Amino acid sequence: MSDLGALDRPGTPDSPGSWDERSQGWLAGETSGSHTAGGETAPGTRGGDDAPAHTYAHAETPAHTRAVAEAPQRERADAEPLAPVGADAKSLTRARADAETPAHTRADTDLPAARRQPAAPRRAAADPVKALMHRHRELCERAVDPLEIAAGLEAHGVTDRTAARFRHRDVFSLAEEMYARVPRDTGAPARPAALDVARARADWALLTLLPGALCAATVAALHLTHGQARALAAAVGVLAVALALRAALTRGPLAAADRRPPGSLAHAPGSRACTYWLLAYALLGDGLLDAALAGGPDGPPTGTADGPWPLATAPVLALTLACAPAAWSAHLFAVRARRRLTASRALEEYSASVRPLLIGMFALFLCALTALLAVCGAALGEPADYAQTVTLGALLLLARLLTTHGFTHAPALVLTATVMTEATATATVFAGRLPGCGFLATPVETLVDHWGPGSVPALACGAAALALLIHATRTLTRASAHAPEDRPC
Amino acid sequence: MRIGLLTEGGYPYVSGDARLWCDRLVRGLGQHEFDVYALSRSERQENEGWIALPPQVGRVWTAPLWTAEDDGTIYGRRARRRFAECYGELAAALCAGNAGDPSGASGESPAAEADRFGSALYGLAELARDERGLVGALRSEAAVRALERACRAPGALGAAREARVPDLLAVAAHLERALRPLSLDWYEDDGLGSVDLCHATTGGSAALPGLLAHHFHGVPLLLTEYGVRLRTHYLAGTDASPAVRSLLAAFHGRLAAESYDRAAIVTPGNAHARRWQERCGADRAKLRTVYPGMDASRFAEVGESPQSADPDTLVWVGRVEPAKDLVSLLHAFAEIRKEAPKTLLRIVGAPDGPDGEAYLGHCRALAAQLFPDEAEGLHAVGDNPVSFEEIGGPELPSLADAYAAGAVTVLASVVEGFPISLVEAMFCGRATVSTDVGAVVEVIGGTGLVVPPRNPRALAEACLALLRDPARRERLGAAARARALELFTVEQNTTAFHGIYLEIVSHTPVSRVVLDDAGEPLPFAVPAEAHVPGRWTHPAARVVARGGPGWAKGAPVRATPPRTTPPMPATEGAR
Repeated sequence: MSDLGALDRPGTPDSPGSWDERSQGWLAGETSGSHTAGGETAPGTRGGDDAPAHTYAHAETPAHTRAVAEAPQRERADAEPLAPVGADAKSLTRARADAETPAHTRADTDLPAARRQPAAPRRAAADPVKALMHRHRELCERAVDPLEIAAGLEAHGVTDRTAARFRHRDVFSLAEEMYARVPRDTGAPARPAALDVARARADWALLTLLPGALCAATVAALHLTHGQARALAAAVGVLAVALALRAALTRGPLAAADRRPPGSLAHAPGSRACTYWLLAYALLGDGLLDAALAGGPDGPPTGTADGPWPLATAPVLALTLACAPAAWSAHLFAVRARRRLTASRALEEYSASVRPLLIGMFALFLCALTALLAVCGAALGEPADYAQTVTLGALLLLARLLTTHGFTHAPALVLTATVMTEATATATVFAGRLPGCGFLATPVETLVDHWGPGSVPALACGAAALALLIHATRTLTRASAHAPEDRPC
Repeated sequence: MRIGLLTEGGYPYVSGDARLWCDRLVRGLGQHEFDVYALSRSERQENEGWIALPPQVGRVWTAPLWTAEDDGTIYGRRARRRFAECYGELAAALCAGNAGDPSGASGESPAAEADRFGSALYGLAELARDERGLVGALRSEAAVRALERACRAPGALGAAREARVPDLLAVAAHLERALRPLSLDWYEDDGLGSVDLCHATTGGSAALPGLLAHHFHGVPLLLTEYGVRLRTHYLAGTDASPAVRSLLAAFHGRLAAESYDRAAIVTPGNAHARRWQERCGADRAKLRTVYPGMDASRFAEVGESPQSADPDTLVWVGRVEPAKDLVSLLHAFAEIRKEAPKTLLRIVGAPDGPDGEAYLGHCRALAAQLFPDEAEGLHAVGDNPVSFEEIGGPELPSLADAYAAGAVTVLASVVEGFPISLVEAMFCGRATVSTDVGAVVEVIGGTGLVVPPRNPRALAEACLALLRDPARRERLGAAARARALELFTVEQNTTAFHGIYLEIVSHTPVSRVVLDDAGEPLPFAVPAEAHVPGRWTHPAARVVARGGPGWAKGAPVRATPPRTTPPMPATEGAR
């Protein structure tokens, strides 16, 4: 009976020879098969009355060719999809008696009976289901429940009539037997395939260099030009750097999470404005504060470090140059975190393994920023304001990282708070000039007297960065923050 | 009455599945009012627009399934706890065992498990309704944690216990996608609360709004499945890990069971779908097979003139693809030619995709090899007895002409769902020989010959029998046409659904507060007996007066499983 399963073999015949042989063998095996089947079938294993799947076959198909028409005789004809002429004359007559419509087929009576005689003795396998399982090995092994096997078998053309030949009342019970008989290895499961990791690409790597380069060009232009041309250069430079920053942040690891569906909010509104405001303050704020405390400012900034309202170009240049290290450390973090994701089994374990990664990445960026700042300060001959620049860089990186991973709420809040703090500090100095309001300027004056004008942004950004760092160690170490992109499954 | 038609990736989109059927249904039942609630499956589908809608379609509500707006709802503490509880219950129900496998790993009874799944689902729905959005929460770490806890719990499925972090994330993402309908704003009083009946045109996601409407407003649900969604899910088989697949299979299985359980009536499209539904726990008492309807008018002319056929021609019509097993047909034809040398075979159809192209080329080569071109005389150009044609050519301008060309229509498929070409042949009054696959036996029902698949000899014998016996051919053709006209016409389909609508509404009316002219609720507008809450025919919730007779305490004896018999006041007297 091993050949019976050939009915549902998924391939299609490609040459007449093999096809004929197979069907020949299949036809040929019927005599022995019918006898064993008739003899072995225990009564009641397939009661006709409680087999709903057969009912329509009983009721509606009296006019088949004999191949499948003998539904009433299924108890004994299970194993004969195509009984040879004369092998079972009784069933033939019974089938005739059962048929009710005039549309009644007996095509074989026209053909010479000799042609249909078996050509070779059939190979009788004791266990037809085993052969079927062998054929659908892959399906059986990957199935997670019997219904999956049933669906797969049906897709390969197995019907209830086929299942009946395996002594099952329907495909479902056949699939259940197959599912139960599949050996399930209890050994270690196969190592999961690594998730696809974003590769470093030239486009974003070059784009992150752009703001730094443009900023350096602007600073050089400010140094080389005078008067009207300097103002023009400054305006063009600021615009170019702003656009370059925007471009650098739309691609690569610093881009807002692309797993977010299109149309949803990529940024909390205002967080971009806050970033520009903070950069402007790094450029102008310290000079303004200094001048304000001394009674100024006496005129608009002249674009040099020694005017009445001096510019601090070194921090801004260092920060724009730091786009590249920021992108690379974010990339490193994303890749490593994704890799850990594949390797870990529990969520707690994953969080514990990602936390040092985050801290390490953060420290790496701070080191790079400090080095850049030192170089810029030396090159421009300006004092490198480490405290406020490094804290500002840390704040911006953390805000961007959180936004990238889909947490937009906290960065927006913290950035706004920082901006408000800095603005209030500057405003109180001017407010202190009003009559009777001198006390308003006292805190800032005390601060500046002790630690210099850089202490205001350093304190504001430092506190904000610390808050974001604590938030990030809680949220960015979650597995859900590193979930791979949506894949239908 | 007003019917809420729930579709997923179908009507009224131009590229939707089953839009033709929905369109005919809506146009055919002009006496009712339809509100269409459509879930779109892709951005492209949305951009392609809608088909023209008839006036009986009142409102169309659409929502995307392919994307979800994270509305940024931040849950409060209590909402978070509620979410964790409900999602944990849902995850536990998924991990506890398999819906399709009653003897699964779960220690509890299947009914209790199904109930657990249902209550978790409705809990989430209520939360989504109260908090106006669930998307963010479903993507949150709390969801993944709840999944992890359920997978590690004692008694969880073996496959689920193996789940790793990426698996948990994949399951959470899939559940988020599947549960998107929960966050919709369709369940208000002016939305699904205002319809008298929900008709879900597919299972799965489309049934979800129906389930919620039933839960929130008691709107009865009619579920139509032409292809069982659960089976489609299994066949879609991805390369995800076993843990993901088993959890998702459990989810879809339980969702299917829940929708079959809550639906007032389930209408499978054929016996095959019906078997799957029964298998997934649908109560037989509420299953009504409604065959898909087809437009019979274009075949009327051919069907009424059976003499037009060429008595020596066999016709095969369909899309050319490997599952149709044309090779076996060609081999069968070789056998036929040995007995009846004058016979011709016309294969009509276009290839389906690149696979189909390759297969068609293969079949052409095989035909050329098996049947060398033969000429009438010494000076004529030879012709092959097998011809490959497509509809729309000069010889076969329409589909009906293709069927009209031959005396016998053959179908040799090894895999088939609902055999449309067979039904068309039946409409044309042609005798048919087909293989015993899919719903063929059910469709043909004794009005044509059926042979085992992959058996060219049987196919050849059956074809020869018909070719040699014109009278029988005619008899079979007439019977087939009569059967098709009775079972597979559009009118039949529409009438069946009309009857089912009326039946459902008569059995389970939606109780609404009736307002008077001033907008105040009108007391006693609906008599108390018009609506009896609960299912008191359910054995678990039987209402027996204390000290009632002893015979009333046992389970009622009935022929059908008693779970979902609609509540009928008549049973009161019977007790």
